[in-house]
Amino acid sequence: MMAITADGPGTEPPVIELPVIELRGISKFYQMAGETFTALADIDLKVGRNDYLALIGPSGSGKSTLLNMLGCLDTPDQGQYLLCGQPVASLDETALAQVRNQQIGFIFQSFNLLPRLTALQNVMQPLLYRVMSKQERLSRAMAVLQRVGLTDKAQHLPSQLSGGQRQRVAIARALVTEPAVLLGDEPTGNLDSKTTASIMALFDELHAQGQTIILVTHEQEIADHCRRVVRLVDGRIVADRQQQQGRSALAV
Amino acid sequence: MLAFWQMFSQCAQSAVLSIRLHLLRSGLTTLGIIIGVAAVISVVAIMQGLSAGIRGQLDDLGSDMTTLRAFTTPDQELLGFRNKLTDSDYDTLLNKISDFEQITVAMPAFSMGLSVSYGRSSSQSQLIGAAPNYQHVIRIYPQLGRFILPQDDERRRRVAFIGPSLINKLQLPANPVGEFVLISGDWFRIIGVGEKRGSLFGFDQDNYIITPFQTAKALNGPDQLQVEISYRAKAGVDEQALQQQIRNVLRAKRGLASDAADPFEFITAEKMKSQFNQVLNSVTLVAAGVVGISLLVGGIGVMNIMLVSVTERTREIGIVKALGATPQVILLQFLLEAVLLSLFGGLLGLLLGYGVAALLGALIPGLSAAVVPLWAVLLSLGFTTFIGVVFGLMPAVKAARLAPIDALRYE
Repeated sequence: MMAITADGPGTEPPVIELPVIELRGISKFYQMAGETFTALADIDLKVGRNDYLALIGPSGSGKSTLLNMLGCLDTPDQGQYLLCGQPVASLDETALAQVRNQQIGFIFQSFNLLPRLTALQNVMQPLLYRVMSKQERLSRAMAVLQRVGLTDKAQHLPSQLSGGQRQRVAIARALVTEPAVLLGDEPTGNLDSKTTASIMALFDELHAQGQTIILVTHEQEIADHCRRVVRLVDGRIVADRQQQQGRSALAV
Repeated sequence: MLAFWQMFSQCAQSAVLSIRLHLLRSGLTTLGIIIGVAAVISVVAIMQGLSAGIRGQLDDLGSDMTTLRAFTTPDQELLGFRNKLTDSDYDTLLNKISDFEQITVAMPAFSMGLSVSYGRSSSQSQLIGAAPNYQHVIRIYPQLGRFILPQDDERRRRVAFIGPSLINKLQLPANPVGEFVLISGDWFRIIGVGEKRGSLFGFDQDNYIITPFQTAKALNGPDQLQVEISYRAKAGVDEQALQQQIRNVLRAKRGLASDAADPFEFITAEKMKSQFNQVLNSVTLVAAGVVGISLLVGGIGVMNIMLVSVTERTREIGIVKALGATPQVILLQFLLEAVLLSLFGGLLGLLLGYGVAALLGALIPGLSAAVVPLWAVLLSLGFTTFIGVVFGLMPAVKAARLAPIDALRYE
């Protein structure tokens, strides 16, 4: 987000903030049956702090590939990826794991909670890869569970939770490390419409609290919640526009 | 450092949880290890107990007595040549060396093939023709009657000093002194019965017939027969020096070249003990080695189940990688699980092995209480850990190398 004051002398100098995410010429290819397919072709993208971005496109457009790339779950074949100003495209797996732990919060369509751990333990999991006392882990985990409104379900196993509750736990888990960006891959894809609405309301709330969010979706209703829509077709960005929230907001 | 230990303990806890989750599977997996360790431990324990018992009995033999016997090298035997120690050697030694407290000669029969009978009973025994002072060197004393006297020897009397087992074997009266027994067609009068000595290595030490040396010699005809010379050195005499003296005398008597081997050998209780220990150690090593192979089998079991575990948890591994688990953490996690699994089996094997050894020690007579030496415990546990690391490494590396994105897609 660029904030430039155009007033004359005596005013504050222009504050230029680094974009949270900057992609330059990102390309990804894959091999299938001896042929090379292009998943992503020459993507340039900048995402600023507190952006609320929807990646939309038909299936096969590369939106999930792009999201995985942004989440450092996958590496590009060409191009540069600067996350909070640091290049991450050519990092080894160990370094990438650390980036994922510290800067990324990933939310999956199928929740991906660890089935044998309680909600609280699931939320604490990312903190296990950092050095801190057990007390601190507990308190941070409980704090985010409160943010998503699930403190009373802390000791429940995922099997004892509804789909919406599981996704809330997953969101809490993504938030517990205070990531630079939240990435959601069709986060409401497995939920009914009522639950979808409440989850989207949660994302809206998080955005209002200052979180940078990127969601992949193929549904216009979901994209309507966001402030910026980036449309992908065949691995290329074909549209990138700001919008007001709630162009056709779901009725609650 | 703190970070590593925190991570280590987390992985360890997680590993324990994983094993507990599949307790039956874990137990069956480590069956090979359990059996391997149990077998090694029980073999070692039994061997140790056995050797302790036998060493005790060997100590009773009297370590101050040395026996001199003819010795033929394998090469000489091949040529049909047999060395002999004769009573003339005995006379020579008696005359030329003064350091013997006691020196005696005996003509032992090396087999139990001698037939002796009394009335309608008959038995197999061994006949020993011995000088009167044999008693003092070998320390066989009469519980009834008397031992052989010099007069018996000089007059070649057909008298017999028997071992107490023969009383039962031949159904002799409780005091058989004065009775006549038939030995190889000749009548002998019993003059005494020896003290009971029990059995050594399961061999009955109380089944023997001792007659005067000259009697036995006369009965055997003109051939120079093998003798055995036993002696005890005087107090304060250096054993090694005495042996060297004997060697010099006997070699000179035979006019041997300086590079020729000794045609005789010295047998002491010490030598027997060390020979026995050698055999025991070899047997223990071989047994432990053979049985140790089953530990390898157990290791393969661990590797197998860890591979299954990695496959089962592919999705899970993808999730934690997405959350920030580095390949090193994943490697440590699965490696620890393999090691703990192996150790789990090792401990069970240890308990089982000790139990088996204790059970056998109680059931088999003559086997003293099974002792599990500390070195065997440490070696077993150490080797078990090693097996866990070696066989757990491949699956752990496989898990560590999983690409998060592929792992996450795994159904």
